[in-house]
Amino acid sequence: MQLRLEHVTKRFRETVAVADVSVTMENGVYGLLGVNGAGKTTLMRMLCTLAVPTEGRITCDGEDIFEMDMRYRKILGYLPQDFGFYPDLCAEDYLMYVASIKGLRPAAAKKRVEELLHRVGLYSVRRRKMKKLSGGMKRRAGIAQAMLNDPKILVLDEPTAGLDPNERVRFRNLISELSQERIVLLSTHIVSDVSYIAKRLFLMKDGRIVHQGSMEEILEHTPVRAWLCTVSKERTNACLKKWKVANIRAGSGGNELRVLSDLPPMEGAAEAELTLEDVFLYYFGEKAGDDDALL
Amino acid sequence: MLYYEFRKILSKTGNRIALLALLVLLGVTCYFAVNGYGTSYTDEQGVSRQGISYVRKLREARLAWEGPLTEEKLAAVIRKHAAVIAAPEYNSRDVTEQNIAYSWTQDYQDIRQMICRAFGEFRSYDYYKIDSLSPEDAADFYPNRIRALRTWLDTEAKDMYTEEEKDFLLERYEQLETPFYYTWYLGWDKLFEYGPTIQMIFVLVMGFVTAGIFAGEFSNRADAVFFTSYHGRKKAVTAKLWAGVLLSAALYWTVWGLYSVTVLGALGADGASCQIQVHVGWKSFYNITYGQLYLLMSFGGFLGSMFLLLLNMLVSAWTRSAVIAVTAPFIMIFLPSFLSNLSVPWLSKLLGLLPDQLLQMQTSVNYFNLYRIGGRIMGEVEPLFALYGALSLLLLPTVCALYRRAGRG
Ligand SMILES: Nc1ncnc2c1ncn2[C@@H]1O[C@H](COP(=O)(O)OP(=O)(O)OP(=O)(O)O)[C@@H](O)[C@H]1O
Ligand SMILES: [Mg+2]
Repeated sequence: MQLRLEHVTKRFRETVAVADVSVTMENGVYGLLGVNGAGKTTLMRMLCTLAVPTEGRITCDGEDIFEMDMRYRKILGYLPQDFGFYPDLCAEDYLMYVASIKGLRPAAAKKRVEELLHRVGLYSVRRRKMKKLSGGMKRRAGIAQAMLNDPKILVLDEPTAGLDPNERVRFRNLISELSQERIVLLSTHIVSDVSYIAKRLFLMKDGRIVHQGSMEEILEHTPVRAWLCTVSKERTNACLKKWKVANIRAGSGGNELRVLSDLPPMEGAAEAELTLEDVFLYYFGEKAGDDDALL
Repeated sequence: MLYYEFRKILSKTGNRIALLALLVLLGVTCYFAVNGYGTSYTDEQGVSRQGISYVRKLREARLAWEGPLTEEKLAAVIRKHAAVIAAPEYNSRDVTEQNIAYSWTQDYQDIRQMICRAFGEFRSYDYYKIDSLSPEDAADFYPNRIRALRTWLDTEAKDMYTEEEKDFLLERYEQLETPFYYTWYLGWDKLFEYGPTIQMIFVLVMGFVTAGIFAGEFSNRADAVFFTSYHGRKKAVTAKLWAGVLLSAALYWTVWGLYSVTVLGALGADGASCQIQVHVGWKSFYNITYGQLYLLMSFGGFLGSMFLLLLNMLVSAWTRSAVIAVTAPFIMIFLPSFLSNLSVPWLSKLLGLLPDQLLQMQTSVNYFNLYRIGGRIMGEVEPLFALYGALSLLLLPTVCALYRRAGRG
């Protein structure tokens, strides 16, 4: 299975949400990283045939996905960023409904729904109304929904949004399990979500893929180095203005700053190993907005 | 797919409330139909009584006149009435005495009304007209109906119709078989009176339910999953439409059936073979029976409801907004009645063809709107059925096509 975007552009009046994106994906997990408004959702909606590219084309094994129509949707699973459902249906009925519109036969649907309910850990609450599930449970129902037709192309838009750290770990394991024999594209602005499981990362900024490759490749090719230096509390503010600081850790002898720079920012600075968070900060100019980098 | 579409609709709290409201309003309407004007019985003491057992009494009294409404029978009514108005009780100033006198007239009230119509002018009605008649006048009863029309066509309505149209109306009047057959018809009468109300309530309440079928995917933000599914742009859309159509149809016939059974059960179902000219359609140029009018009303209401609900679903699929969709039937039902106050001739002809007319067949058969279609002159009933039958069929694929398009930005 090969999914290919050729010079794909999407314009909304003045805004260019996706600009001239060309990428190719084969089986495996792909991570789409970018800050808010980078164009991740728009790109994914086009991949799911919900939006038509203004320019360029998207092909699946050489065939235009819009021309494939039903045949393409048959192998597609999608978890939208603002995943919605029918609040008064219970989880099981919800999945049974989606299974029916995905073309599963009733008997097969029943088996598959049961299997997925177990897999995402919702079996015990399957008769509970969707609106009464917790945020994390809803997300899991969303993932189960996307998996119903055993898709060859699985598109997950910020699947970890609103999940607690434990759920995140569970989710990551789930994705790893699911990633065999299919293309999984997942977007996030949380670096740690994808850094371990994605075989390839796309860094997206202002509608463009500014950098792509495996984590090692990206770390290798990012023209910056990370340094640890300790400064007194009084000097911290001045340093923050002067350098790109990825992290601050308060210590007894002053603050330890993690600085991104080509050259050592000051005497006594020790070089540290570059991480994906650093790269994110370097490309996007802001912190990779999360507090669970420890995961 | 269809099954879960139904479950989606019926699990929604708002929809459950709407259907409950429909049931309550059905009960209220039935209550008014069964206890409304004309269902009370005045006993020999001049006391007005209400209730099923008194309706039975009223029915027994009226059935004394059952049968063909011949000259002799009409003369007998005029004679009986003359005796009543000569009685001291009738002329008393005491209300109870007057009520006692009224109790003697209630057996022939239906026929009295017919007589008053027959001897009044075309567009007027005088409840006391019978007071001035003598038994010999009875011979003019049937000819008068035609004469009044002819006079009206020659004077007031002189420029409203072409000669051909005038001939058409007169011909229809002359074709009506006389004498009429008279029997107790109150059950049908009340059924027709409140029928439009219940049909209108049905459409407006049901509009809340159907409006959510298409727009709900968007308001629930479930549209992305829906449209990216295998059947999402074809069968799943059709299933939605069928869910709406089948649910509406099933509920329409349930509500209409319950209403009919209740009203006819309480007030009596006799009179199905009476000409509508006996009461609801004295002036109508549709020579049909109560039973036939009931069929017209049942199917007219059905077609009208389906059309308006399809329109509602169309707006819902198009605008993605249930709120806007809900207003569509409201506008279609209430705007015509608002415009009809303007009384502009060409406007009334247009209004005669609006879908709300299908929900009030008992007035449609009484309107004097004439249309010339394919060289034939006809009233509004035939074109209404043809027009909305065709439009409804056309709406089915249109709703689907619009909705399919709504899912792509
Ligand atoms: N339907 C639309 N009409 C107009 N502009 C749009 C539309 N959808 C997206 N945009 C614009 O396109 C740009 C990219 O938006 P998009 O939602 O794809 O970003 P994103 O990377 O998914 O952001 P986030 O991390 O917040 O989800 C934004 O500037 C947004 O305002
Ligand atoms: Mg997004």
